[in-house]
Amino acid sequence: MSFKRFDQANPFLTLGIVVAAWLLVPAVVKTFARASFFELTAPVTLAASKVRDLQEFWSLNLHSKTELIEAGRDLARINASYEVAVQQNAELHSEIARLESLLRLPSFSAYRYEHARVARRDFSAWWQRLVIRKGRNFGIPVGAPVVFTGGVVGRISEVHATTAVVELVSSASFRLAGVVEGDTRPISFQGGVNPTFAPPRGVVELMPLDLAASPLSPKRLVTSGFGGVFPPGLTLGTVVRAELGSDGLFKSGEVRLDERLGSLTEVTVLVPLAPDAPARPAG
Amino acid sequence: MHRPLTLAVTLVLLWAILAELNHALSGLHFHVFGGALFVASAALHQPLRPGLAASLFGGLVCDANTPVAFGTHFVLFAAAHLFLHRVRDRVPRQDPVFAIVVVLLLNLALFLAFSLLLLPASPASFVVWPRLLADLIASQLVLAFATPWFFALQDRALALAEKLANRPTGRPA
Repeated sequence: MSFKRFDQANPFLTLGIVVAAWLLVPAVVKTFARASFFELTAPVTLAASKVRDLQEFWSLNLHSKTELIEAGRDLARINASYEVAVQQNAELHSEIARLESLLRLPSFSAYRYEHARVARRDFSAWWQRLVIRKGRNFGIPVGAPVVFTGGVVGRISEVHATTAVVELVSSASFRLAGVVEGDTRPISFQGGVNPTFAPPRGVVELMPLDLAASPLSPKRLVTSGFGGVFPPGLTLGTVVRAELGSDGLFKSGEVRLDERLGSLTEVTVLVPLAPDAPARPAG
Repeated sequence: MHRPLTLAVTLVLLWAILAELNHALSGLHFHVFGGALFVASAALHQPLRPGLAASLFGGLVCDANTPVAFGTHFVLFAAAHLFLHRVRDRVPRQDPVFAIVVVLLLNLALFLAFSLLLLPASPASFVVWPRLLADLIASQLVLAFATPWFFALQDRALALAEKLANRPTGRPA
């Protein structure tokens, strides 16, 4: 009779012992192991991202000078419009500061804008997240809001040495208090289903009965500012359906999120500033 | 020592390729899950210890890069590896078509296990099944094409590592 070692003779008992041992490993060891394995693969993610950037650079290099001149001209026009908006914004900020001091109101949270390239997108039915090319090296904290031109992208869920992970607004574990534009009553937003070949969706709950939304008359859903993490007024999506909930006290509905969430290449992290720190301008 | 190390390097390469593929497919809202490829070759062709070590390493790499409880891939890959290793002497494991069938069945099992583990947290767990079905079909198609290539890559990498490890050093015996 041939002799077999215990692990070879009883592989499933061995598996049970390995699982039991794994469950007994202290959480701090698991956290350390997770961070170590992430950092082990981070250079691969960053290298692939930089190669994509280089590829884009060479493809842009193929454009003719005429095209570049036209693009520069268009950009100059947009910049001129933004210059006016910046001046108006500065004027409004000073007005808000004056009213806050007059009425002794608590001031809004100030943020530093940290622009970051997207290194990897991961959109499964189980989770939706991005890896960005900035982390602890740029002072990015866990929980910081992430935005783009279309509104809210998500929030920072993990921070590593040179990268950070963003949990997307479409992720089922993402919850936030929002308000319908023009209304002040908060409603609960949660990420939802991401169907194939269609824009991502979320759900709203605890919606007041007098608010109505349908595909023909959708309502813009924005952040409420409650909780102090996300500044108020950022676009979350569009409420395209609202129906009476099972309790009969509130409505629940469906939110259509921005299609561009699936193809983002650059995002902005709003890094909260300490209350006494001077606000730095964007960029 | 060179065997688990070589297998680990090929698994990191596999992880990187799948990550890039998913990055490219994110705009279409497709996701390719290739969990079975991390396990199948090592379980079917390698001795228990280095093969299992490589599968566990692959599980930890996947765990670190996904928002699941750390150890989920680790445990599922270990179970899949031990099961395949147990039955491999009774099946035509050198047949490439059989290897593809094994990978597809194993991937289906792992995909369903992940879905059942992760979906109860979702607010619309029933609505998400059409999306899961689309992801599963995409994953199986990709794996059907990638399995022979990845098995060959691992074999060639192991042969190369063996050759390098056995290279004469030039020192006197």
